[in-house]
Amino acid sequence: MSDPGPIQPSPGPSGEVVLSCAGVRRSFPVGDRRLEILHGIGLELRAGERLALMGTSGAGKTTLLNILGLLDRPTEGSVTVAGEDAWRLSPKRRANLRNEQIGFVFQFYHLLPELSALENAVLPAMIKLSRSAYRSNRKEFVDRATTMLTRFGLADRLRHRPSQLSGGEQQRIAIARALLLDPPILIADEPTGNLDRGTGEKVLEILLDEQSDRGVALLLVTHDERLAKRCERVLYMEDGLIQADSSAPIPT
Amino acid sequence: MFRTFLSLRYLKARKTNWIGMAGILVAVGALVLILSIMAGFLEESRRTLRGNLADLVIQPSFQSSVLQENGDWIPMQTDVERMLEIIREDPGVEAATPQLQWYGIFAPDGGESALEKPMQDAIQLIELVGIDVEGEGEATDFRESLEAEFGKKPGLGKHCNVGRPADLDDPFVNLKPRSPRRSRPKVPILVGEQLAYLWGLRRGQEVSLVTATYDEASSKLNETAANARFQVVGSFRSKDNETDSRRIYMDRRALADFLQRDRLWSAVLVKLNDYERDKEDVRARLWSKLHAEGFLSAPGIRINEFRTWEDFRATLLAAIQNEKALMGIMLSLVLVVAGFTVFALLSMMVTEKRRDIGILCALGATPRGVLALFLMIGLWEAVIGSAFGALIGVAGAYNIDAIERKLSSTFGFQIFNRDIYLFDYIPAEVSFSGVAWIVGGAVFSTLLFAAIPAWRASRLDPVEALRHE
Repeated sequence: MSDPGPIQPSPGPSGEVVLSCAGVRRSFPVGDRRLEILHGIGLELRAGERLALMGTSGAGKTTLLNILGLLDRPTEGSVTVAGEDAWRLSPKRRANLRNEQIGFVFQFYHLLPELSALENAVLPAMIKLSRSAYRSNRKEFVDRATTMLTRFGLADRLRHRPSQLSGGEQQRIAIARALLLDPPILIADEPTGNLDRGTGEKVLEILLDEQSDRGVALLLVTHDERLAKRCERVLYMEDGLIQADSSAPIPT
Repeated sequence: MFRTFLSLRYLKARKTNWIGMAGILVAVGALVLILSIMAGFLEESRRTLRGNLADLVIQPSFQSSVLQENGDWIPMQTDVERMLEIIREDPGVEAATPQLQWYGIFAPDGGESALEKPMQDAIQLIELVGIDVEGEGEATDFRESLEAEFGKKPGLGKHCNVGRPADLDDPFVNLKPRSPRRSRPKVPILVGEQLAYLWGLRRGQEVSLVTATYDEASSKLNETAANARFQVVGSFRSKDNETDSRRIYMDRRALADFLQRDRLWSAVLVKLNDYERDKEDVRARLWSKLHAEGFLSAPGIRINEFRTWEDFRATLLAAIQNEKALMGIMLSLVLVVAGFTVFALLSMMVTEKRRDIGILCALGATPRGVLALFLMIGLWEAVIGSAFGALIGVAGAYNIDAIERKLSSTFGFQIFNRDIYLFDYIPAEVSFSGVAWIVGGAVFSTLLFAAIPAWRASRLDPVEALRHE
């Protein structure tokens, strides 16, 4: 951690580590051979930190993100979330970690088309709680989601289905959904990648404002240099390895 | 929580799921309806098959006289009173009456004709039944068979005019002769309606009955024929065609005279207060009591000594029961088809909803939660489909006769031919435990079919699923 080499990740802000991985390798079978995408990656994400992950297509960004988000199992290495080695836990405890510790924002919003904006936003609470617990706390979560969506400018869109909403609106719902249970970690995979510039700016403002207000650690995958500039740390990935780590925006 | 909420939402939002529901509805509805009708047929046939049979029939094998406690010997052949006394003491017994049964040949044209052309249809084997009118009326449906409406049939036997006897309390009365009688009046008999039709019998006609008895005096297995003329004074119609075509009733004493033997009875017919409830209890009780008194062999040794009416009709009843079971099995296949529909629809849905499954996983749903979500979709389909199916089936069963009449008149052809059966309506009997079994089976089999796609959904790799656009 005290080795600030260009290849090793440098320590970020001095908050506590909320998400880390060490020696992560991931390979996929291709024919009768195995193709390795990640060649041993270690990184730490601290509370309140903004970390951008950049790199060319095929560098392994999304694979790494899936592994850090506990959606994909590394072939080798470990992922630690909230102090627990996630892949040594039962599937149920791991699912709980995803539910309570990590908020996801995807490039393609990924809302459930059958649910209204509000229902989409409270979905994590429904998944977390049993029927009786949800019923007694329903108002609290609905209020929380309504407040957030109102703040995001969606007050008159609460009952709309995703198909009736624009991309920017959908992404704001996705942000509300990711933040509903106040997770310490937010993982965003090119959150503005599918939006036009103006809309993307607005969505990004919301995302970053919420992040700094709540002190959430943000791990952001992006192609957008301007976006990366707004992060405290930027990691460059190439060919399955972290090639550069900068605590300041790199010069263009 | 999300399982219930999402499963109901998916069900509501995706109308294709309703096809599966409709399939279950039709299958359950058909099962309930058909099995109710079959149960109705069974019940109605039981009533029909029963004919004039009494609840219980006791036929001792008359092996010896019976020694009483007070040291008296009862000549069993002539004295049935002690046995009736024992039977009537039983709290489950409503009535009991002795009967004398024998077999004979019916020969309207005289005994000689019967023996001259034995292979022609000029003779017919018949059942001669000697009864006590009052007791018979109490213990069997004898009286009802005299009250049954007499209708002339067209064609066959149209000359037959043997109606019911005038006085039901005393049916064995000779008709008044038109001209002053020279000969002794013949013994009055009641013939089955079918027998009367077949032979074109007329009221007051004299017929011959021929029978054979064992001649004890010659101590050989030699048979002595007895034959005499009888007067047909009326007819009866039980609910059993077979009985109606071969049974002849006469007074018990008159039959004993005709047979010229010292035996006055051959069986005791017993009617119970509640047959369905008590049949086995009363049989066991009476059997051991009658055995203790020496009238019957030990219970179970000679099963023909003590039979319920169902024992007489065992094969026929078993056949209908069998048909019902077969029908149930065949219709259960419809349920399997409905299960396949659910399977196909859910499989399609899992494929379509891959992305949603990935999202749910990312938001913290466990594989088990995803499994439960899709199982619940199947469960709702099964529960809603089979509940409405059961309702429609039950409603249909209760109104099947009206529905059939309506359909027949609308489409102009007879769906249910009422002439074939002995009942002129479509019987249906709804068994609610049966309906519960069908609904339970439908839910179970649907869940079984839903389990496969649900399991597949739970095994989806969330990364793969999220890539699905």
